[in-house]
Amino acid sequence: MYYDFVIIGMFLLLMFVAGIFFSKNIKNTADYFLAARSAPWFWIMGAVWATNIGFLHGYLAHGGAAYEWGLIQANFEWFQGPFGYILTGLFFIAFYWRAGIFTVPQFLERRYGSGIRVVYSLAWLVIFIVTIAAELYLGGMFLKNILHIPFWPTVFVLTIVVGTYTLLGGLGAAIMMEFVQFIIMILGTMPLLFIVLHFVGGFTGLKEVLLIQWNISPQYFTVLPDIHHPYGPGPWIILGQCFVVTIGWCAGHQSMVQRNLGARSLYDSKLGYVVAGIPKTLGAFLYVVPMIAAPVIFAQQGIFVEKADAAYGKLILNLLPHGMLGLFVAGLVSAGLSSIGSVLNSSSTMIIKDIYERFLAKGKSDHHYFIAGRIATFGIIVVSLLLVPVVLKVYLIMWLEQTLIAMVLGPFMGILMLAIFWRRTNTPGSLVGFLTGGAFAVFLQQGLGVQVFFQISWWSFVVTFIVTVVVTLLTKPPKEEKVEGLIWESDFKSKLGEVLGLRAETNGYRVKMIRRAKISIPHWYLNLKYWATAILLIQIVLLFFFG
Amino acid sequence: MEEKKGADPKLIVAVQMLSIGIILIILGFTVFILSLISRMEPFIRICSIVSNASIICIGLFFAIGGLIRYKRVKKK
Repeated sequence: MYYDFVIIGMFLLLMFVAGIFFSKNIKNTADYFLAARSAPWFWIMGAVWATNIGFLHGYLAHGGAAYEWGLIQANFEWFQGPFGYILTGLFFIAFYWRAGIFTVPQFLERRYGSGIRVVYSLAWLVIFIVTIAAELYLGGMFLKNILHIPFWPTVFVLTIVVGTYTLLGGLGAAIMMEFVQFIIMILGTMPLLFIVLHFVGGFTGLKEVLLIQWNISPQYFTVLPDIHHPYGPGPWIILGQCFVVTIGWCAGHQSMVQRNLGARSLYDSKLGYVVAGIPKTLGAFLYVVPMIAAPVIFAQQGIFVEKADAAYGKLILNLLPHGMLGLFVAGLVSAGLSSIGSVLNSSSTMIIKDIYERFLAKGKSDHHYFIAGRIATFGIIVVSLLLVPVVLKVYLIMWLEQTLIAMVLGPFMGILMLAIFWRRTNTPGSLVGFLTGGAFAVFLQQGLGVQVFFQISWWSFVVTFIVTVVVTLLTKPPKEEKVEGLIWESDFKSKLGEVLGLRAETNGYRVKMIRRAKISIPHWYLNLKYWATAILLIQIVLLFFFG
Repeated sequence: MEEKKGADPKLIVAVQMLSIGIILIILGFTVFILSLISRMEPFIRICSIVSNASIICIGLFFAIGGLIRYKRVKKK
């Protein structure tokens, strides 16, 4: 046990020191919020994946759900996740780059005006703070159960480490740590899959025990089950989760998008997002497949598990020897820290760029906003810590967080699709549509008692879409110059080149870097289309065998 | 609105690579030294060694790459 403490302590100390070391390079708001637009595609790949995977969206909660419901949990990794990454990378990211923005709400303001920017920012700030508190709670509880260390000191240590590197180093430090965490998660936690399969006689042996000896329903081994499945009906996964929540998450979640805006070129940004589909696919092997085998191992070893959320901890505690356990726990802590760090950084960006700089303190110096960004980061840390005792009382944290997200992402996807494809969409239409869609999502959940968040997101998307179209048709169209460059057009590529040129004029060094990287004519192994095709083929193969 | 000149993006990437490499190497060796490899079951031992060795190798790759880039940026 002592060895495991040393390994985890060493890992946290290294991140703390590296964060302070890196912060010396940060000089202005572009460095702080967008990492000086320096990140190559592989940084983006690691950061996007690590941002996506945390305690909440990954090991503990997804692992717990896989333990209870089976392979259906892999639909996030084998179906909708990579699909969302590819679609966002190939399509949506270019619009954000073209608009030259820091945040997603900033894009919405360019297209629809300031009202929608404020509403969207505030909605996400609430989700972000709940997410940080939930991640801290899950991290504290996990370490308490595994290493028997007190809850609150653990939460404070985690907060200090992640708070220090995010507060001082901004996005650059967050991306750097996320890449370290990406490596530790993949290499440090992957051995569990092989060890678990070794104990249960491989995947065939596992299926034999569960389906033949234990007589469990074949749906336990299905990624997309039928419509009567109580946890995730297949058609709703495709409609609500894949086409609304996942794409909305990839294109509308500030943490996911901000990593791409910090890329050194548009091509790096797009490639990084698409290639992140590979580690995303691997995710199911890290926490879904081992947890499907967990009941068999628990039965073999006579272990009793009270709550599904605690199953992952019990599994590693009973299977992994000391030393290896320390590295594994460091991998899990990485997952939590990467999510907290990214959300923390994105929250402060939204507070400064979407609220403070836009409405409260216009026209101040860059240094002023840079310092304000650090103060905002500190403020969010304090608020999130204060919220942890509240989260302690919420039993199904993942359900709460995902329902909140479904309420925002459905309406967001409605107005984003119309923003890009329908020139006529205007400010009143989008604002009324967004608010009505959000209110309808609340009504579905609270009034009608709909609990499947795929359904909530789908219907709130449909309502937003219809209301936005109707209100837009009843009100004046937007001025031509307002929507210029922000909607889909056939000459999109040439206009994009112009926009990059303009970006270069105002920020001299950036143009030099884009040209020098020679990314516009990529080598075959960096070709975006090849990677996207390969990942889609992997998905098809996985769905063919497990669909 | 005055804007302070930002950091050199190449220097940032070099520092990031170097830091990532150093963290992975130190962590890999720490785990390697502290793991009770001789007491592990054979299969688990192989998994542990492969996992650690991969972390150290990737760490070396990034540390060397970062150092080369760092020196190149500093020379300019």
